[in-house]
Amino acid sequence: MYTLTSILQILVYPGILFLLLLAFLYEWIDRKFLAKVQNRYGPLYTGPSGILQPFADFLKLLSKEDIVPTATDKILFSLTPIIYSVLPLIALFIIPIESQIAIISFEGDLIFVMFIFTLIIVTVYLAGLGSMSRFSLIGGVRAALQMLGYEIPMGLAMIGPAIIAGSLSISSIVHWQSVNSVWIMFLQPLGFIILTVCLLAELEYVPFDIPEAETEIVAGWRTEFSGRKLALIKLGKDLELVLSSALLTSLYLGGAQPAWILPPVILFIIKTMFIVLLFTFLRGIFARFRIDQTVSGMWRYLIPLAILQVIFIQLGVGR
Amino acid sequence: MWRGFKTSYRSVIRVPFGPQHPALKEPENFTFEIDGDIVINVKPRIGYNHRGIEKAFEQRTYIQNLYLAERICGICSDAHTTCYAQAIEDLLGVEAPPRAKYIRVIIAELERIHSHSLWLGIAAHEIGFDTLFMYYWRDREAVMNLLEMISGNRVHYAMNTIGGVRRDIRSEMIPKIKKGLDFLEGRMKRYMEIVKQDLTISKRTEGVGILKQKDAMDLCAVGPTLRASGIKNDVRADDPYAAYDEIPFNVITYDGCDVLSRILVRSEEIFESIRIIRYALDHIPDGMTRIRVPMAVPPGEAVSRVEAPRGELIHYARSDGTTKPERYKVRSPTLGNIPALCKMLLGCHIADIPIILAGIDPCFACMDRITFIDVRKDEKWVWSMQQLRRHTKR
Repeated sequence: MYTLTSILQILVYPGILFLLLLAFLYEWIDRKFLAKVQNRYGPLYTGPSGILQPFADFLKLLSKEDIVPTATDKILFSLTPIIYSVLPLIALFIIPIESQIAIISFEGDLIFVMFIFTLIIVTVYLAGLGSMSRFSLIGGVRAALQMLGYEIPMGLAMIGPAIIAGSLSISSIVHWQSVNSVWIMFLQPLGFIILTVCLLAELEYVPFDIPEAETEIVAGWRTEFSGRKLALIKLGKDLELVLSSALLTSLYLGGAQPAWILPPVILFIIKTMFIVLLFTFLRGIFARFRIDQTVSGMWRYLIPLAILQVIFIQLGVGR
Repeated sequence: MWRGFKTSYRSVIRVPFGPQHPALKEPENFTFEIDGDIVINVKPRIGYNHRGIEKAFEQRTYIQNLYLAERICGICSDAHTTCYAQAIEDLLGVEAPPRAKYIRVIIAELERIHSHSLWLGIAAHEIGFDTLFMYYWRDREAVMNLLEMISGNRVHYAMNTIGGVRRDIRSEMIPKIKKGLDFLEGRMKRYMEIVKQDLTISKRTEGVGILKQKDAMDLCAVGPTLRASGIKNDVRADDPYAAYDEIPFNVITYDGCDVLSRILVRSEEIFESIRIIRYALDHIPDGMTRIRVPMAVPPGEAVSRVEAPRGELIHYARSDGTTKPERYKVRSPTLGNIPALCKMLLGCHIADIPIILAGIDPCFACMDRITFIDVRKDEKWVWSMQQLRRHTKR
């Protein structure tokens, strides 16, 4: 009985099926809200207000011809889309969604999530390398270069909540916020801002959409992918959006807390939606930076600020 | 700029850019020699998009050519017909009536607003600012609607004819045009503020694609590109045509010599155009809008210049006394800007190539002409219309 429940947990709720639904839903929210920001309609025809459009796009791509250019590294080219879509899914098992304890939870899982974020970029780099196309190569290199900029401040901004809660487990951080009935965002606003900026870069959103800059390098590292592979990459991107918003919610906004008579999952979805709207709004109001500007800006401003945040916490401010 | 150094250990790679590339809306090829992330040499290869249009001019009558001239460009269609009509009027020795001249000014300036706001949107898109792109293009609809109200068409207005204009601006249209202009002025002021204040825009455009004043002069840049390098040059002011000699206006210049200056010059020119249209609407004289001209044109040569939205446009016509021109030549502003463009691209980052390329507002399809040259035998020839047709059918 216990095994059956845990299998259901992993496969259905709050596991793979639920997360896929969230991924498609959040892509729709993102597209629709970006369209509103830009004074457009956005998806309109599939389902009410086009809510099924991301899913329809996914199905359409699955049925399309899967072209493998002759020059590609066959193994890398077919493996990277799978890895790219699976990695965020694994990380999402560690984040508490339906209760305050995640499906998988152990001391140090925060470090594991950081590791997965890095692995995603490594996958992107390999995908660019394996495509052997000029645009893909530049895109992959740019993604790796950009990571050198934002990885350190992102790690430091994730450590802030861990220091307060006295634990390296995301579930414990969520639990700590619930027990003390406070959101870490109000204690460490600087850390919240830094993590938001870094996640924008991780998600390749404007102003950090340098690895896939449309007008410069076509579609960046994903230029050569088509059909099923592109569908998986798009799904991976959506799951990454869910992961980023879920991580920000869990670390800084209290995560899956029960409130009044509402189950924790409702509050979790509301908070993550709010974060998605925040990401979308931010991506709507900037122009794209150049890669050298991004990396030097990150090292010049974001890293000192992140260190300052940690020093503040050590001095007792914001705990 | 690096060629003075020992280049033996430097790896210079050649990156072709185009003929198919998302930053280029029309096919044209540039080969960049890139050292690391810096462009050290540019070789443009133009001529992918010639349409045999000058030959087509020689096959058609003067009235038919009016519609052909309109179709040289999809954006500055009015500039081309104005230029054509002026050249032929010059050959005929007639002049358009004063009211027609004012109407030509109004349409030309409305077209300038439409062309500049289209370009500003594209510039925003090239640096990844899609939101501004959407807003510019939404508000561009206002000026398109005005043009549609006056001429019945959104793009090819077909307003000009030899000896005047084909349609009149009726008095009940004037308040509507003014209302549209008020709306546009408000919106464009807001966008000007955004361009001046936004950090990301200035990061991407300030100091990018430098074209120094001297280089701009030496390489014969034209239009907003030249004016953004601080040189006061505008055909409307220097060699007034239509009614520009009766209308007071300023020639906008900026001396930043970079892409930001090009954006600001075009933004300010929109305001200047709005002022010109308002003045023209208030001072438009009464009278007829066109005079009748004979079908056959007396022999002679004529050159006509117009300040198109992209810069100085030159048309040349030679007549042999029949109803068809003997030779017709169009020099569109993009061709004048290509040498300057190559200068701007030297020493820039790869990521800045699209915005610098877009910075001259290129319209390659208007620019391309073709002549065959055999370098070894030192021979030049052009194809006849039949050969061109045969080539396209192959």
